[in-house]
Amino acid sequence: MKSLFKIFILCCLFLCSGYSVAQGDKDKVEAIRVSFISEQLKLTTNESEKFWPVYNEYNDKIKAVRKNLRQSFKKAPDELTDKDAEDLYLLDLKSKQAEAELYKQYREKIKAIIGARKTVKLRAAEEEFKRKVMDAIKDKND
Amino acid sequence: MNPGNYIFKVLMFICTIFLFNTEINGQATTYDSLKVKLPKHYFKTVIVVDAYNKADQKFADTNDFIAKRLKSYGLKQFSLSFYTPLVSYTDVDTVKNITKNTHILLTGNYVRLRPVFEGIKQHDLVKIGFGLRFIFNSGKKGVWFVDTSPFITRDVTYVSKGYFRMASTVVYSHNVSERFNWRIGATKSFMWGNKNYWPFIGLRFGRLDKTHLSIQFPRSINLNVPVGPKLTMSFYTKPQGGMYNFSNHDSLYYLSNAATFSYTRYELNSGFRADVRASDKFNFYVAAGISSRNNITFYSEKANKARPNLPYRTYFFKETLEPTIFINLGLVFKFGKTRTFYEDRNMYDVMDLNNTMDVGDNGGSAGNPQIPITPKSKKEINLQSVQDLIDYNDF
Repeated sequence: MKSLFKIFILCCLFLCSGYSVAQGDKDKVEAIRVSFISEQLKLTTNESEKFWPVYNEYNDKIKAVRKNLRQSFKKAPDELTDKDAEDLYLLDLKSKQAEAELYKQYREKIKAIIGARKTVKLRAAEEEFKRKVMDAIKDKND
Repeated sequence: MNPGNYIFKVLMFICTIFLFNTEINGQATTYDSLKVKLPKHYFKTVIVVDAYNKADQKFADTNDFIAKRLKSYGLKQFSLSFYTPLVSYTDVDTVKNITKNTHILLTGNYVRLRPVFEGIKQHDLVKIGFGLRFIFNSGKKGVWFVDTSPFITRDVTYVSKGYFRMASTVVYSHNVSERFNWRIGATKSFMWGNKNYWPFIGLRFGRLDKTHLSIQFPRSINLNVPVGPKLTMSFYTKPQGGMYNFSNHDSLYYLSNAATFSYTRYELNSGFRADVRASDKFNFYVAAGISSRNNITFYSEKANKARPNLPYRTYFFKETLEPTIFINLGLVFKFGKTRTFYEDRNMYDVMDLNNTMDVGDNGGSAGNPQIPITPKSKKEINLQSVQDLIDYNDF
């Protein structure tokens, strides 16, 4: 019984270990990004409790759309049949359209919560963070 | 009415409905037509494997017949517990811009407790329970928590009847700000060896993802210090205990012919704990410290009932031993994709409430594995990990 338990634990550790690196990095960047935006926006307690659930939902949806598209583009373009290429092309267009629609829909919700000025600040903070990430990547590659 | 006019009006009406429907569908199509799957739940399925050991101690009371017979007392406990989300429902009040959510979790726990008495044969006491948790986040300041955990305890060393008991907790938690929270409620957990409802009073100072002091009577006092995104240190005092069914095979209760009697125990553990977030799917923790107020009692509710005017908890054996050392190790496995709740203070509180009331109250808390801790260092960014944030036009 004890050996079975030890084997079970080792199997679980083994299964879990491979997953850790990529997902851990992703969570780390996401946590830094959200913290950066939070610092920039300086929301009141009242704004904060309404804003974050909406903003998190928006991010979940955008990430899901992008992941769906990225996974569909895994196959090399030269290996695709004409029909597959057509389907992929349409998926690409639809995904971009969905992103734009989500952006509009959620920015309106966010504006209703934190007002136009802070919504503009949010956009600026998102861009600023993106620039910081790209600078970090450039520095790493130089 | 002119028939031509009537037909025209009907056609106009149908066209208007058609156009309106097209507009509605047009608004919903693009994202919905992609059929992208979003995670349903906020809670991951979490399994905690916990081992707890307390050093052996000699009974100092040489006048008591039972103490002399038992000689010494130590403890070995293994527990396996889990919680998994069954229902997660999110409701958005579009007028007030409030996001409320409701969570129903299934919980389960298995405990094998081995009280080590040098003078008698080994007893293995088992506790098995399944329960339900209901958590409601009002989206404003308050979070409601209700837990019911029925369980059965039995002495599996000898043929004995199992005892059915019900642990339950109701708590209202109020987030005054992200740095201050209070809680009030009632709890019956058996962790103090009791079976009555006790008031639950909680206070927290500091943000849940930063250093904070949490006083949750009668469960724990914790000072949590996140050292980094992977490591959290905590200093704590909390009771460890329970109420079990013990076989009278050794005739410890020699005045009665009862087949079983109740064995209760609690100790107050003060020490430190290190929680390591090894990966998104696996955590582990190590805790050690001093175990004080080591209380142990034996009583037979059945025999006490047979004697009039006697409280049900009249002990035929009660001892409080000197402080000793304890060690506690645990593995935490987390499964499933979940929705994100960064900086969402109410959701942090939802997670903390769920972990403050550890499943089965066996001392094996998962340690808030889902509350994100922001790393201090912004180095080591993996390009692959940020592709969702960057578009090719950004370069």
